[in-house]
Amino acid sequence: MTTATVRTSANVPKAAKGAAAQPAQPGFAGKLLRVDLTKKRCWAEAWSPAEMQELLGGIGLGAMILYRETKTKSGKGNVSWDHPDNRLILATGPLAGLPVWGTGGLTVVTIGAGTNGPTSTQANGFFGTNLKYCGYDAIVIQGQSKDWVYLYINDDTLELRDARDLAGKDTWETQDTLSGKLGLTGHQLSVYSIGPAGENLCRFAAIQGDYGHVASKNGVGAVMGRKKLKAVAIVKGTKPLAVADPRGLMQAADDIAHALKTDPGSKSLYEYGTLPGVVNLSKLGVLPIKNYTTNVPPADITEWAAPKLREGFDHRGHQCNACGMHHCHMSIIRSGPNKGQTIDEPEYEGWSGAGWTIGATRPDQIADVAWLNTQLDRACLDVNEFGWICGWVMECQEKGYITEQQLGFKLAWGDIKGAHRLMEMISHRKGFGNILAEGVKRAAEKIGGPAKDCAIYFEKGAAPRGHDHRGRWEEMLDVATASTGTMETGNPTFPTEVGQPARINPYDGEQVAHYVAGLRGRKNFEDSLGVCIFTVRCTLELICRALNAATGWNWTWADAVRFGRRTAAINRVVALRGGYTPAIEKPSKRYSSTPVDGPAKGQSIAAQWDKMIDVWYNDVGYDRKTGKPLPETLRGLGLDWLVPEVWGKKA
Amino acid sequence: MKVLKITPEKCTGCLRCELACSYMQTGQYQPAKSVIRVSPFEGHTSYAPYTCTQCAEGWCMTACPVGAITINVAGAKDVRDDVCVGCKLCTIACPYGTAFYDPDTRKAFKCNLCGGDPACASACPTAAITYEDTATVDWIGDFAAHRAGRLLETV
Repeated sequence: MTTATVRTSANVPKAAKGAAAQPAQPGFAGKLLRVDLTKKRCWAEAWSPAEMQELLGGIGLGAMILYRETKTKSGKGNVSWDHPDNRLILATGPLAGLPVWGTGGLTVVTIGAGTNGPTSTQANGFFGTNLKYCGYDAIVIQGQSKDWVYLYINDDTLELRDARDLAGKDTWETQDTLSGKLGLTGHQLSVYSIGPAGENLCRFAAIQGDYGHVASKNGVGAVMGRKKLKAVAIVKGTKPLAVADPRGLMQAADDIAHALKTDPGSKSLYEYGTLPGVVNLSKLGVLPIKNYTTNVPPADITEWAAPKLREGFDHRGHQCNACGMHHCHMSIIRSGPNKGQTIDEPEYEGWSGAGWTIGATRPDQIADVAWLNTQLDRACLDVNEFGWICGWVMECQEKGYITEQQLGFKLAWGDIKGAHRLMEMISHRKGFGNILAEGVKRAAEKIGGPAKDCAIYFEKGAAPRGHDHRGRWEEMLDVATASTGTMETGNPTFPTEVGQPARINPYDGEQVAHYVAGLRGRKNFEDSLGVCIFTVRCTLELICRALNAATGWNWTWADAVRFGRRTAAINRVVALRGGYTPAIEKPSKRYSSTPVDGPAKGQSIAAQWDKMIDVWYNDVGYDRKTGKPLPETLRGLGLDWLVPEVWGKKA
Repeated sequence: MKVLKITPEKCTGCLRCELACSYMQTGQYQPAKSVIRVSPFEGHTSYAPYTCTQCAEGWCMTACPVGAITINVAGAKDVRDDVCVGCKLCTIACPYGTAFYDPDTRKAFKCNLCGGDPACASACPTAAITYEDTATVDWIGDFAAHRAGRLLETV
């Protein structure tokens, strides 16, 4: 690190002109950090309390920045994901850094490499905490650097530093190196970075941070790689954060914690994080096994129960900001070829993507699956899409659609070593890995023929999360119709609070479509607060209590839902500008096939798909033909100003 | 006397204690001004909070040239802001590094057990920090002896 340090400061007169010295709005740091990688410039930008109340943070703030700033210079369409004018927004929210459990979060918003459309994906750790105590609510990055740089933030010291020596390092090595170099350990430094997969622009590269937290969807790591930004390193700031009602905030935080610990809907999450998903989802036919070729797990699936998944490792809690969940853990492998290695305990999606989907289902493979999951985090590949790619290659090789010669080696079901070799090929774009690095949809289209019919993807270029959605229709419909390439509605959480039924028939397409449309709003609200999805599994009323205590506002659950739907409509307008049409709201053939065995055997979502789409469009108030939010829908959400742009001046 | 007891094995490094402490001590959330601080060990896999042990023989109190450190109702050594001249002698005298200096106020500050209801103990979600009566006030000595003995057994 000897050359080309570009130093700028938020305190230089020109930059500081618009930036408020003290936050006027409780709960917020009060400034946005702008970074132009082309001009090697960082500056602080104030945002007003009115904007804070309108946009909150996270996806709410990010969607508006995309809308305002990613239009091409000609005014037609969006800039593409790899254009210098694409924005990479790393946003916190009003609850980030406060004592509500799990509030170290960031939401990454950008034009993603998977769909080339708007995207929103979350991760946790201490990013949000460290950034807000430095005095910023979000980082907005534009431009492209010529050489690798990393962004260093330490209160008012903002520097783009030479990162050429970090190039080629994986995400954990990058954090280790920066910690050593800066002399900061633990949560004194939060580092979010990309590994080789991001550097080599894999379409499903993620941004990974703080040893195991991954913003994984829609190729956000490729966007960071194209900008030649290796890492963002944030020293824990020293500034104060005022809230409107500190005692009320602590009480709301404790009430949320009590709800998480005791409510039957969240208790297992409190005790074991997402680990119980493996066994529980297998009972519903939602655990994806061997690339959707079966839904019948081996008889010994009880060996994959949550307590057993923890038994085999030496465990240490590794919680995010202010969090009391028994969720994130660092584990040390006790035996086998990787004995002594430190790994991040996989989420459910790690066990499925790096395990069940690729046929690693034997209990004696548990340590190997956990190890592979961490290797994927270190390379910065989305474990879900890797699972669909790897499982697809395994199936295609078994059936002779992809030959051993084409791939370069034999890859059989459950071969963890082979899967790791494939990961290396993809993240370095070597040989056949260059095709696979384009993501499952583009790779399947390139190979074509019967191989294409085996691949699991959305026509819009996104890949699903790590379930078999032929048994969870809500999520297939949700992602298919979402403008972001991943869930927009999310899982039902206290559905009766927003007037929806507690349960529906999961195989009745119409009921599912009404449900997905009716529950819209909550997720975008959550993803704008700077909180973890798992620590807000309580009523919206409780979350609003915490928000109101932090900010002094008076939000209700209805305001929260309206906010989320308004954000979705803005994202939809950005997506439409980029060429989005309802024609691409489709799952692939295998993804929407009918399960041949297991609990969902014979249930065909494909047969009901068109009807489901019709119902969804009608319920949400979007035009079925063009995908546009109807004028009355926009007006109802307070987006009157968008009507002329979407429908013309006469509307 | 009741003191803060720390069980490092239970700490997960969530830093909620720092948030609660800073609010109680300063009226704002500002972990940089917390008087309980969490340190990482063994790479990034273990954490332990540490704060003033309220030593029976308070070296901070002995060292203070103006008598600004007194014993409050909870039995804690407490800095009197109106007397402290900000000379930092207490921060040097403290063998545990738990007396601090605030460049904004130009005063020393340290754990005062929140006057008998420590915010860190209430905030800790894993009970790694508890507020309890202990047989010996200088419990950290016992803790160190126990810990060292355990480590020696494994050698």
